Amino acid sequence: MIGQPLVGACLAGALWNPGPQWELWALRIPLGVGVLLQLLLTDPSLPAAQRPRDAATAGVIGVSVALFCMERLTPSVSVSTGGILWVLVGTIAGLVASVVGGWMEAPLRARNRARAARADELAREGRLRAFEALYWGGVLRIFLRGASWSAAGTVAGIAAASLILPRLADTVTGPRAGLVFAVLLGAAFASGFHTHVRAARHGLRWAAAGALAVLLLLLRVRGAAP
Amino acid sequence: MIETPPAGTASPLRGLDLAKVTSRSFYLQALFSPERQQGLGFGFALLPVLRRLHSGAGEQGKALARHLGFFGTHPVLAGYVLGVVARLEERRARGAPIEETQIEDVKRALASPLAALGDPLFWVTLRPFAGLVGILGMGLLPLADPLGPDLRVLVCPLLALLTYNAVALRFRFAGVPRGYALADEPGKLLHSLKLAMLTHIFERASAFGFGLLVVLTLSVLTKSADPAGQGLAHITLVLAPFVLGFLGTALGLKRWPGRSVEIALAAALLALALSTRV
Repeated sequence: MIGQPLVGACLAGALWNPGPQWELWALRIPLGVGVLLQLLLTDPSLPAAQRPRDAATAGVIGVSVALFCMERLTPSVSVSTGGILWVLVGTIAGLVASVVGGWMEAPLRARNRARAARADELAREGRLRAFEALYWGGVLRIFLRGASWSAAGTVAGIAAASLILPRLADTVTGPRAGLVFAVLLGAAFASGFHTHVRAARHGLRWAAAGALAVLLLLLRVRGAAP
Repeated sequence: MIETPPAGTASPLRGLDLAKVTSRSFYLQALFSPERQQGLGFGFALLPVLRRLHSGAGEQGKALARHLGFFGTHPVLAGYVLGVVARLEERRARGAPIEETQIEDVKRALASPLAALGDPLFWVTLRPFAGLVGILGMGLLPLADPLGPDLRVLVCPLLALLTYNAVALRFRFAGVPRGYALADEPGKLLHSLKLAMLTHIFERASAFGFGLLVVLTLSVLTKSADPAGQGLAHITLVLAPFVLGFLGTALGLKRWPGRSVEIALAAALLALALSTRV
C-alpha cells in the first residue's frame, strides 16, 4: 500500500518541500497529483489484463518533476492559474512514468528465471545460506530498481519539461491549463467510477446513497451558516 | 483427517519459528517469475521451519528443493498455506505417514481458492477503497491555516495506509499460526476467513464513498467556477470540459478496459490541441 500513487506523491512532496516562497502551492501540488494518479492508476482491469503499470514510482516521479519544474520554470512559463499547471505537468509525468516503469518490470521478472535455476542448484547442494543470500539479493534489487528509476525518471521528466514548456510559453495560458486540468479531472473521475461503482454489485445504488448523504449534509451546513 | 503422528526425532516447531515464517512471507514476491510465480518465495519463507525439522545441510536442502516449484496465491493470504505446510512438514519429520505429494496437493488445493478470493478483496476492492479514503480525507478535513502549510499532505496518505493495513495486516499476522492450527481442516480454514463477505462490504463502502466524493468535488467546482454569481449557464459552460473528459474516458474504458492511462493522456493532449484552436 505504501506504493500507492497517493501515498508516494504526498510523501515525496513533503520531502521535497521547496522554500517558503512556494508555501501556498508546495504541499497542494502533491495532493493534486496524488489524487489524480490514484484515481487513474487503480483500475481493477489492470492486473487481469496483464498490463503492468508501475504505480509505486509514478507518484514519486510525478510530484518530483512538478515541484522541481515549478521552482525552475516559473519565470519562463508563468500562468495566472498558479499551481494547476504544475499539477498537470506532474500528473502527465506520473502517467508516462507508470507505463515506462511497467515495461521495466517484465525483463526483471524474466531474469528471475536464471535465478530460479541457481536456487535449485543451491538447494540440491544444501547451501542454504547462499540460497538466502540469493533471495535477499532479489529484495535489494527491487529496492534499487525502484530508487534508481525514481531518480532517472525524475531527471528525464525535468529535462523533457525544460525543453518543451519554455517553447510552449505563449500557448500555455491560464485558461488553457484550466481547461486541460478539467478534462483530466473528468478522465480521473471516469476511471474512479469504473473502479468503485461499475465493478461493485449494486454499485450505482450505493454511490447514489453516498451522493445523497453528502448533499443533505452540505445543505444542512449551508442552512446553518449565518 | 491426518493421523496423529508418532513421536519422532525431529524437534517440534516453536512459536518463534512460525513468527520468522510470518516475517519472511512479506518478501514472498521478491524473485517472482512467470513460470514459478511465488515458488522461490515460498521456499524462502518456509526455511526456518525446515531448519528446525531437519538436521544437516543435505536434508534441509532436499526439503527446501521440494518447495521451490510453482506456487501462486494472493500474497496477503500466503501465510495460511505456509502454516498448513509447516504443520504437515512437522508431522512428516516426526514420523507420520505423509507423502511428499500429499503436501504438494494440499498446498495447491489451498493456494487456488485463496488467490480467487484474495484478488477481488485486496486488489480490486480494498486497495482502491483505501486510496479513496485518503482522497476523501483531502475533501473533508479542514485546513488548519488556509495560507500556511497544508498538513493534509501527511494526513491523507496516513488515512489510506491505516485503512488498508487495518484489514491486510490482520490476515498477514494471523495467517501462519491459524494455518498451522487448522491444518487438518482446510475447508473450515477457508470458510472462517469470510473473504467473500468482506469483499461485498468493501465494494459497497467503496461505491458509497465515490458518490460522496463526486458531490463534494462538484460542489467545490461549481463554487469556484462561478465566484461572481453569473448563473447556471456560466457554470455549465465552465464544467463542460470536466463532463466531456468524464464521458469520453467512460466510453473509452468500456471499449478498452485497462487502458485508463492511455485514454487519460490522449484526452489531455486532445484538450490542449483543441484549446489552441478556440
